[in-house]
Amino acid sequence: MNPGKPVMKRILLSLFIGSYLAVAATLALASDDPQPSQQPTPASAAPTAPKPVKTGEQVFNNNCSRCHQPPMSIPPRATGTVVMHMRTRARLSREDEQLLLHFLAP
Amino acid sequence: MRNKDHKRFRLLLLAALAVSCAWGLAARAQDTPTRDVHAFDNHAGFTPTLSGAMAYIQNTNSGIVSLNPQVNPVLLVPFGSHLLLESRAEFGGFFQRRDGTTGPYGGKIYKVVDYAQLDWLVHPRVIVTAGEYLLPFGMYNERLTAVWVKNLQNAPISSTIGTRSSGTGDGFMLRGTATQNSIYSIQYNAYFSARSNINELQAARTAGGDASVFFNKPRLETGVSYQRFLQQRNINSVATYLSWQPRTIPLDLKAEGDFSYNGRGYWIEAAYKADQLPVPVFARKFQFVTREQQLFPLHGGGNAVPTVSTTQVDFGLNYYFRDNLRLVSSYARSFSSQQNANVWNFGVTYRFLWPLLPGRKS
Repeated sequence: MNPGKPVMKRILLSLFIGSYLAVAATLALASDDPQPSQQPTPASAAPTAPKPVKTGEQVFNNNCSRCHQPPMSIPPRATGTVVMHMRTRARLSREDEQLLLHFLAP
Repeated sequence: MRNKDHKRFRLLLLAALAVSCAWGLAARAQDTPTRDVHAFDNHAGFTPTLSGAMAYIQNTNSGIVSLNPQVNPVLLVPFGSHLLLESRAEFGGFFQRRDGTTGPYGGKIYKVVDYAQLDWLVHPRVIVTAGEYLLPFGMYNERLTAVWVKNLQNAPISSTIGTRSSGTGDGFMLRGTATQNSIYSIQYNAYFSARSNINELQAARTAGGDASVFFNKPRLETGVSYQRFLQQRNINSVATYLSWQPRTIPLDLKAEGDFSYNGRGYWIEAAYKADQLPVPVFARKFQFVTREQQLFPLHGGGNAVPTVSTTQVDFGLNYYFRDNLRLVSSYARSFSSQQNANVWNFGVTYRFLWPLLPGRKS
């Protein structure tokens, strides 16, 4: 008889339920976002290039702080190497690697 | 027997290198017209770099003091923009009083290679890794063990699950992003490790993988890891984890549950940086950390899993002078039927990043 078993089960069940509720809430929130095409466009506005879906700053903020405090500066000579390392560690796609590199070494 | 293992491991390593080279060259040949990463050579340096951390940690566990100065260099050597050699070593000292709590300090100097791997960025969504790598089981072993990264210096008790026998694997790994869009990205790992008894390359025969989904807007990640231990008794280990860094407050919340034949446990950690508090600027550099964890052994525990149920609560207070220099401190109270104990940690960590050569700029 393991006295911790029911407690453990409850905790793990709570963890599962909590994580999946969070996921469901996220998807619901995401679907509530207004679509860019639905937003009114001023008649006088000049046609502009479509806004990129993701920016290098977003890649930086989303991925670096998942594990550690983001660095305030990186020596320019090492930026490419650091981003390669970051791609490997954070399992980034090449697209995100490029955005990150553009952000860190504009 | 040992020589046989050694030979088999060498053969596997050679085969791995040959396969990955062939694959990489083929992919590179196809990839040549769109090798846009090279465009960055104009402004970003791909030079060999020495990164890592230095730290001094004083640990007091049940009244026994341990002094642990250490240097953890990470060597990064890129070959072009598709191939990266990376290795982390640990040079340190471990000193305690000769009679536990009295007498002069004595101890030893040690050196360990944590990992040494070759990463081939072979495809926009695939990275091939060969060599000795950290086992990607749960969040802790691969992502949070660096001394300058972890918020609390004590490892979670359940971090020994899924990382037998050395925390590293010798063999291959595929990793990358399976799919991504503006809402989420799905990332994966799959690996196979051969058994090795070579001194600096000790590893168990295992296979496993990890998959996680990250939601961009709330910065929420949830994932699951699986490992099949393929020596002696075949054992399955599973971990589920959750990580959340909300945009509006400087909070870092992490939780993980680990399950195996030898035991199961969980840990929940929250770290709050006082950036937004209405306090003087110097006080905004504090970080408050807490972790709650429990571990319940199964089948008598063992294999680095405690043999009795253990509960531990940790509290930490860190102070960031800069993003790469901080003071760390923590107190933990551990409860088990064998012993209740107080564990204290004090120290300093410093992260460095030094290019080793002039950058190659066009």
